[in-house]
Amino acid sequence: MIEVNDLVKRYGTLEVLRGVTLSVDPGEVAAIIGPSGSGKSTFLRCLNGLETFQGGTVTIDGLHWGVETPTSARGRILRAVRGRVGMVFQSFNLFPHRTVLQNVTEAPIHVLRLDPDQAEARARRLLDRVGLADRLHAMPRHLSGGQQQRVAIARVLAMEPRAILFDEPTSALDPRMTAEVLAVMADLARDGLTMIVVTHAMRFARQVAHTVHVFGDGRVIESGPPAQIFEEPHEEATRLLLSEVQAA
Amino acid sequence: MEETADASGGPHPLARIPRLLSLPVPRDPRLTLVALSFIACCLLEPRPSRADTLAEIRARGRLIYGGDMEGGGPYVYPDPNDPREVAGFEVELMDALGRELGVKAEFSQGPWDRLLEVLRAGRIDLVINGYEWTEARARDFLATRPYYTYQLQLMARRDGPIGSWQDLGASKPGGGSWRVGVLNSSAADTFADESGGPHVEVVRFDGGTDAMRAVENGQIDATLQDLPTVLFYRGRYPTLKLAGPPVGKGDYVIYVRRGDEPLRDALDRGLGRLIDSGELRWIYERHGLWNDAQRALSDGTGAKSQASRMPRPEGLELLWRYRSRLLAAAWVTIVLSVTSMPLAMALGLLIALGRMYGPRPLRRLLAAYVELLRGTPLMLQLFVLFYLLKLPVWVAGIGGLAINYSAYEAEIYRAGLQAIPAGQMEAALALGMSRQLALRRVIVPQAVRIVIPPVTNDFIALFKDTSVCSVITLVELTKQYSILGNSTGGWLEFALATSLLYLAMSLPLSWFSRWSERRWEASGAKGGAPA
Repeated sequence: MIEVNDLVKRYGTLEVLRGVTLSVDPGEVAAIIGPSGSGKSTFLRCLNGLETFQGGTVTIDGLHWGVETPTSARGRILRAVRGRVGMVFQSFNLFPHRTVLQNVTEAPIHVLRLDPDQAEARARRLLDRVGLADRLHAMPRHLSGGQQQRVAIARVLAMEPRAILFDEPTSALDPRMTAEVLAVMADLARDGLTMIVVTHAMRFARQVAHTVHVFGDGRVIESGPPAQIFEEPHEEATRLLLSEVQAA
Repeated sequence: MEETADASGGPHPLARIPRLLSLPVPRDPRLTLVALSFIACCLLEPRPSRADTLAEIRARGRLIYGGDMEGGGPYVYPDPNDPREVAGFEVELMDALGRELGVKAEFSQGPWDRLLEVLRAGRIDLVINGYEWTEARARDFLATRPYYTYQLQLMARRDGPIGSWQDLGASKPGGGSWRVGVLNSSAADTFADESGGPHVEVVRFDGGTDAMRAVENGQIDATLQDLPTVLFYRGRYPTLKLAGPPVGKGDYVIYVRRGDEPLRDALDRGLGRLIDSGELRWIYERHGLWNDAQRALSDGTGAKSQASRMPRPEGLELLWRYRSRLLAAAWVTIVLSVTSMPLAMALGLLIALGRMYGPRPLRRLLAAYVELLRGTPLMLQLFVLFYLLKLPVWVAGIGGLAINYSAYEAEIYRAGLQAIPAGQMEAALALGMSRQLALRRVIVPQAVRIVIPPVTNDFIALFKDTSVCSVITLVELTKQYSILGNSTGGWLEFALATSLLYLAMSLPLSWFSRWSERRWEASGAKGGAPA
């Protein structure tokens, strides 16, 4: 489903990703953990073209691009990728001038050219699924952080994506709201949706993810099933990271 | 010129205030407040001098005379040999008069059609600048004996159909009116207005040479001007001819403030001596201005003998008489602003988007456009559009305002667009939107509500900037104020009425702004945010 090969990302002379190779199977939930500045978010943003990169290739659902791909072709490929791969942000990024319902129907109507009634029916169903059936006409600023993030997830689901990238979806939330959002995500995982989740929520990584990738200093230090990563990590850096998290 | 300010009360503008207060004052307390503060400002205006100006002039050794050197040949213009000095037959006349009074004559620059206001405000001692004697002026000011007898001369294109003033009495071939340019509020203005007949449309210019250029450009058919001006500038406009013999006739006089009889009498005596000694004739001959019409000057049949004591209408009566002119000018102001502002807003948005999201060369080009238009005066831009590119007057006026303001609007939009968090664009792109769609559906609608207050602010500013359009002959409210003030002397009434009209037109804009902000706030909740 997602194949990343030797991805290199530089900001000037600063190397943020130093050759990341990683693959995710259809239906797999991959968690990416690692200390701040290890390149987790940058990696995720390279996958849907919000960041450019200086080396390596990405293949998603048969769409393939790399540094050699000409700009014009890359633009077309990235639009196609974004149509199939959704993204959930740490800061929700809901459209503040639209209602909850409009946030969810916006892209299906204007990108997928769905009939507005059809788009609305789909939006109502998805908002019901994330537990916000009663807030359809609220403005985003009147929602709690957890509710906003659940709308953002519904907004992504409305595009019927093949995979969803989660960029620290619960980092801006307090524990109770974090639980609401993680419950929705666990629900999606059970449905077999392919997900890559950059997260600090170790319990979620442990309980929901199929694979955990540990990032450090722009590289994948260690990958494996959660049981192995959390119980018997091979790498000293992983051990250090986990002990820090537990201490915090 | 603090020396002329005097605190003692006079019957002059003060007497009119109570009547003016009976104007219908809007019920909104803010409006009333503004109106009252305006009246207060009027009260602070220095009133005509009650002190002896002549004694003051003698004490300070300088006689300050007001004129306008813009397009001012041969009356007063920048001396070609020494641009820091002024030259002209009136300058020489004033030098001679200064010698008669034993003081030094000093020129003070002012806009031609406002010179009497400058005089009234006490900033100059007298006005001498081809000001003909008129009944309205003689009511509010004291006039000396005539120092020159002018005639009016029609100028038209050599290849045109106009041979003389009489030709304008017939209808124009091909329909429409003859468009005749005049210097605003000049004798030619009055003459063309009163004697032009049904086929003549009077177009008012701020400068005589502007009108000549407009004839050359084909924007108007002919121009009627004081003969001295025509003789002085004809060489510069070789495609123009003097059409027929001079028409009309009148006297140039010097105006001083009412109450300055000693000064007026001293000037009269000085003029008399200059006429008798032949010095005045010698000045006119040097400038090629002497003709038989000047012989009557020595009769001394001063215009002051004709000075009328007839009371002129004042206050509301005056305003009521000229209401149609005021309202027509207000309409011009409204049309100019409500057509140019939407254009400026649309253009500004395109420029802002181009500057932020366009390719690099376009960004550079648009940045240059913004700097050029913000960095040069609106008046010059209008001048270029009308006199150099020869655009029709309304196109030049509306287009000029729209282009000028588009630069300012673009910067406002840019600030508004930059205020939208980067996450909004990222979220839209991540949903598969193109950059264009994201701008249209996500970024611009959010930016619009941010920019409503500053854009409304600019709308109100543009509203008042429409007055600059008078340089391209559009008679809008401020111009009309100047015209009516000049022809009737009712400066105070018209100033107040004009200000109230501007207020009446701009307050709805403020209300609209607040209403639309609220509407934008509420629109999302109702579920129909316009994009």
